Amino acid sequence: MKKALLTLLALSLLAWGLAQRYFQDPELERIKSGGKAYAEVFVSQRPDQALCSIHRNRLPADLLPKFLEEQRSLIKYPQNGKLMGDWKKGGAIFNNLQKANCFSCHFGSPVHLGGDVGPSLEKYGVKRGQSEAVQRYTYEVIYNAWAYFPCTVMYRFGAQGLLTPEEIADVVAYLLDPESEFNTKPAVGSK
Amino acid sequence: MPLKAWLTTGVLALAVLALAQEGVDPREEAKRQKQLLLETAGILPTELIVEQGKELFNRKGPSGKTMAECDFGLGKGVLEGAAARLPRYFLDTGKVEDLDSRIITCMTRVQGFKPAQVKRSEVVAVAFYIASHSTGKPIQVRLLFPEERALYALGEKLFYARSGARDVGCATCHVTYVGKRAGVLPYADVLGKDKSWTHWPAYRYSNDQIWTMQDRIRACYGNIAHPQPDLYSLPILALELFLAYSNNGAVVEEWPAFVR
Repeated sequence: MKKALLTLLALSLLAWGLAQRYFQDPELERIKSGGKAYAEVFVSQRPDQALCSIHRNRLPADLLPKFLEEQRSLIKYPQNGKLMGDWKKGGAIFNNLQKANCFSCHFGSPVHLGGDVGPSLEKYGVKRGQSEAVQRYTYEVIYNAWAYFPCTVMYRFGAQGLLTPEEIADVVAYLLDPESEFNTKPAVGSK
Repeated sequence: MPLKAWLTTGVLALAVLALAQEGVDPREEAKRQKQLLLETAGILPTELIVEQGKELFNRKGPSGKTMAECDFGLGKGVLEGAAARLPRYFLDTGKVEDLDSRIITCMTRVQGFKPAQVKRSEVVAVAFYIASHSTGKPIQVRLLFPEERALYALGEKLFYARSGARDVGCATCHVTYVGKRAGVLPYADVLGKDKSWTHWPAYRYSNDQIWTMQDRIRACYGNIAHPQPDLYSLPILALELFLAYSNNGAVVEEWPAFVR
């Protein structure tokens, strides 16, 4: 009886594990012909990535509370507690194609013409002010966009280790600081 | 090669012109650039590559045979419409093959070249030549064999997968953000109205490259800093089969195409 229960437990754990996965082993075997680096990202696909893949980027309502809570728990803050850093450093990150590449999707940069995949950020700080709530929201969306917009295309800069908490604070400053060129200079393409 | 050098200069000048223009429909812009190039150079790069591919097609391999001895799906030496029916399963290799991989099969199994002797540039040139026989034909790809169905299913899953440090995947942009612009180009509706499968193989005037769909898929991954699948690998074939099947019935406007 005890053995049967254990087997049942093992099976249900296995089923749970499989439910979190998007690709099954035979598929991963075939993907491996694409090369080591290519296969690795699918072999090590995260459970949240798997969920977004399974549901084609539109999570069912019943999964949302747990998903949002998990994403929120991934957010970490700068050691010094400051959510706004150096706007000049932030600008170099925002406007670098190889780094954060923010301008490719967001309009508003005084350096590069922005795209329209994401919302326009034109004069972001002028329009929103620099309250603690605005700082926190901006920081958290950059750190982990999935904590606000599940499965969105925006990179999870902090949660995925693309930027450090300090670098994210620099980008927050670039967007919010009234001195920042983001707020003092016109956006490229602005009418 | 004064003609080629001159052509390259012309192409670069046009590319600069093109980059200076924002908000222009890239397809309309490509047509305009093509017309300009035709008027100034008198010949298109696509025509030059097709010619080169034709020479390679008729070149004898170590076995003494030309590519006319190969079956590209519609029988030995039949090229008319053959590329529009690829990828497909081939009984002689027991594999699903696209234009690129079938050319390699032809060169190695029929013409007697060693796999190491097969140059990528030659495969692309021959692909241009063979594809040129499918202009005006509708895409007709089937899922008849189990292997075709298996690869289609894998391609569909890969298309919708979110992976890598940037959580990206094909559908993230090419379904959700169709028509939106990241950088200069709007995202194509690759499964729907843009019929992107019919745009490759193509010559890209903005950077003077000749690409098949294999190169295009790899570039797509590369642009979003995602590791790229190796050329001729199963993931590329799977994505190709999924894209081609989704574009079934679309008529090939011109192969090889002339794109931005």
